[in-house]
Amino acid sequence: MNIRNFSIIAHIDHGKSTLADRLLQATHAVSDREAKSQLLDSMDLERERGITIKASAVTVHHTYNGEDYQLNFIDTPGHVDFAYEVSRALTACEGAVLVVDATQGVEAQTVANAYLAVSHDLELIPVVNKIDLPSADPDKVAMEVEAVLGLPAEDCIYVSAKTGQGIPELLDAICSRLPAPRPSTTDATRALIFDSHYDDYRGVIVYFRVFDGSLKVGDRIRMMGTGRTYQISDLGRYTPFPVRVKEVRWAEVGYMVAAIRELGDVRVGDTITLDARPAADPLPGYEEPKQMVFCDFYPSSTGEGSGRKGDFEALREAVEKLHLNDASFTYQVEHSEALGFGFRCGFLGLLHMDIVQERLEREGGVEVVQTAPTVSYKVDLNDGTQIEIHNPADLPDMSKVVAIREPIVKLEIICPTESIGDLMKLCDARRGIFKTQRFLSEGRQILDYEIPLAEIIYDFYDKLKSMTRGYGTMDYEVIEYRVDNLVKVNVLVNGTPVEALSLICHRDNAEYRSRLILQKLKKQIDRHQFEIPLQAAIGGKIIARESISALRKNVTAKCYGGDVTRKRKLLEKQKEGKKRMKQIGNVTIPQEAFMAVLSQSED
Amino acid sequence: MPPMPGPEHVAVPLTTTIDGERRRTARDLPDVVRCGVIDAVYVHVPFCFHKCHYCDFYSFVDRQDRQGVFVDRLIEEMTAAAHGWSAPLDSIFVGGGTPTLLAPPHWKRLLASMRSVLPLSTSLEFTVEANPETVTPELAEVLAAGGVNRASIGAQSFEPRHLQTLERWHDPASVVRAAGILREAGIDNINLDLIFGIPGQRLEEWYDDLDAALALGPSHLSCYGLTYEANTAMTRRLEAGAFERIDDALEAEMYGAARTRLAAAGFEQYEISNWARRAGNGIRACRHNLAYWRSRNWWPLGPSASGHVEGWRWKNVPRLGDYLDASPWPPIGDVEHLDDDGQVGERLMLGLRLNEGIAAAELKMLLARGARGGQRRAAFERHTTSGLLEWNGDRLRLTPRGQLLADTVLAEVV
Repeated sequence: MNIRNFSIIAHIDHGKSTLADRLLQATHAVSDREAKSQLLDSMDLERERGITIKASAVTVHHTYNGEDYQLNFIDTPGHVDFAYEVSRALTACEGAVLVVDATQGVEAQTVANAYLAVSHDLELIPVVNKIDLPSADPDKVAMEVEAVLGLPAEDCIYVSAKTGQGIPELLDAICSRLPAPRPSTTDATRALIFDSHYDDYRGVIVYFRVFDGSLKVGDRIRMMGTGRTYQISDLGRYTPFPVRVKEVRWAEVGYMVAAIRELGDVRVGDTITLDARPAADPLPGYEEPKQMVFCDFYPSSTGEGSGRKGDFEALREAVEKLHLNDASFTYQVEHSEALGFGFRCGFLGLLHMDIVQERLEREGGVEVVQTAPTVSYKVDLNDGTQIEIHNPADLPDMSKVVAIREPIVKLEIICPTESIGDLMKLCDARRGIFKTQRFLSEGRQILDYEIPLAEIIYDFYDKLKSMTRGYGTMDYEVIEYRVDNLVKVNVLVNGTPVEALSLICHRDNAEYRSRLILQKLKKQIDRHQFEIPLQAAIGGKIIARESISALRKNVTAKCYGGDVTRKRKLLEKQKEGKKRMKQIGNVTIPQEAFMAVLSQSED
Repeated sequence: MPPMPGPEHVAVPLTTTIDGERRRTARDLPDVVRCGVIDAVYVHVPFCFHKCHYCDFYSFVDRQDRQGVFVDRLIEEMTAAAHGWSAPLDSIFVGGGTPTLLAPPHWKRLLASMRSVLPLSTSLEFTVEANPETVTPELAEVLAAGGVNRASIGAQSFEPRHLQTLERWHDPASVVRAAGILREAGIDNINLDLIFGIPGQRLEEWYDDLDAALALGPSHLSCYGLTYEANTAMTRRLEAGAFERIDDALEAEMYGAARTRLAAAGFEQYEISNWARRAGNGIRACRHNLAYWRSRNWWPLGPSASGHVEGWRWKNVPRLGDYLDASPWPPIGDVEHLDDDGQVGERLMLGLRLNEGIAAAELKMLLARGARGGQRRAAFERHTTSGLLEWNGDRLRLTPRGQLLADTVLAEVV
């Protein structure tokens, strides 16, 4: 049996899903009608955002030179937040199809994904997609591929996933140019878990690739990382519709059901072996998921009854339920003097955080107040130990702190040449260290920076997009934790320190940042019946202050017969505006205010 | 006993057709509306010199040629609506627009019809809104003879500069003259409307306005903090930066000034923006407006007039052309019937505007109704503690400070 295991990797919107569907259609795995929808993306949210979060694997057949080839197509998440998941999916492959949009050219994620694939020793087939579009310039894009990635321009296959042009050539290339799976290195069975998802009826479904030996229905298996054992009740593969099989053999890809209750029990990257005859060593590359961005979720509520237990229980239920489907975010109960009970959650990245918040609200039906995201810090203490904190509030007394280390990322930006100056200024203002500047193609450059993750988690991407009129793209990867002169700034509202508003920032920026934060808070907190002082402090020292003057008048002067309905609606609107608020002492603070600590510019 | 519709009612067309389109009229409202006991009638006269820039009421520039047809049509509507009304009306209020733009012969005809068609109480309060520039001795005689016993004059301010900001073009002296003419004709129950918080207005100027108004011996004063209504030219000018809103601390001070100065002059405040002179054991409050705030039943007549009967609210078609085309029942819109909870909120919103507040017994009943009794009770307790609400005997009401922050309280209980 000829087997080819491969992934498709692409920048968002470069047509990965459409191409995948077209491949299924060309191999007669699905009908034309079924091909209409993008089959591999399963969640609404993913489809809306045009990204793939959960991977699947599909098996199809293609005849090349008169021989039958089993093609296992392993889908990968498209975003850098899921870099580890991508790397595990790539490990399960021998080759990858690298898709580049003929109208857009190479983007930051294209480069990141290509490097990732090359570092996993994958053979790459570059594909220039969307050649049917009038603005397509495939030759120029092929030259970019050669210039940036070192893949010969003539190796590029030009396709249109939309019209089907070039698809047969691509299928042939997958058979001829991608290597066959490596031979077994051990007699014991070893399979790599590259994805899993939760099914309400069957529990956890595990996707795996067999490297050595085989797995059969009824086998008692052991997860080598977690040590847990299960019995396989169901094996199968997607074609793309699920088909049950009795056995998944060497080099093949499949799914299994094994009465696994929680997604948290399965680790992507873990190795499956047989309990009775375990392998000596697991497959390499297993890592615990690493959360880089943290924020708090609190139940949203109005002034009265704020912090009620019922709200928190509803949030807990939603968080726990979502965690069944996404084990890569972490959560723990958090209690804040100001905000009551909530959860501190960790995410793989910013996009991941947004997705979790949206899913909590959409699928969990709860309204949450989200605090400003922060990164994790490593703090060296004077007793020689080091602790990791995910919340400025957890920073120990500064007299015990020797140094605070923050995560630094390697940032790669691809942008139009004319935006270079603006972007360099932006990176400098965010404590970026310039590394290199590279030519990509006529009018486009690559910028490399090392920059603190904390400086890019809020509005950096939006700024980059607006400076480049939408053409710029970025990608980042955490490289290390580095010491800098960091301080904790506390914000006091009406004399009460609000931990959720505290932040860790560079000492040199502390005054400036504090002023911006207080100005923003002044705009966002409604006037109350009394004056509200706002202060920012480092330790006991006030470094900035503002105040919100008392509300003296809030009254509808005229309300006569014909006005009643309209005036009532105006009052209801006032009430409506108070929903996403938190009561802190006597002061009501809107959700937006908790994002104020992120403001880095005067707008 | 509510009057039952007589057999003649069957002959009245149930709907009105405009441009071939069938439209809903008050006849199509449920029986509970048609059989409700009507306490008051509001008549809208749509004619105006021009549209005032702070005003969002419906009105349009006077066209003398349509006054006759308008009155014909109004009489038809009134006749149809009042058929079967037997309980005497406590109040009639003619507003606008500028009702005093209607020529005296038209007024004469309208008033005569009212007396013959409407069941009137012997103590009827009959108010006409008067534009100071258009009050003539002849008109005043006609009004008084026709039963009008109260007039409301839109003075707004006695300072020409501020009138100009408000885009009011009358001469302050005309207010003095109009009040004199009306009094001469026997209409001595006079209200003056004043506005404070006008951009550029100083506290002393507001005192001057209050004193000038008091000098005319009114029985009633309405003092409104200037409101920037959406979709008015004044609001657009504010947004365009033509002037600045006055500081709300100063506006609060002006409000307090009205309270002390008017109290000293023998007036009692009975609603957020209204004061009436003490007379005998009581005060000369506007009974018509009390009907609004006490959620009584009133019937609308004329284009764009709004009505309320037994929890139903609706509004006559606003365009004069459409109104004139349909007879006798004008098309209606904005029909609203709130659910229980909405009705409770509305009752609280209106009742707490009054200094009399809401009686404990009614409050208890209201909190037992509706879906949010607990939340409302909590809000009442909180604001009683914070000093915006207080118990006056067995009635809950806004405190003086609470009146300035009324919306803060009302938004929570509406």
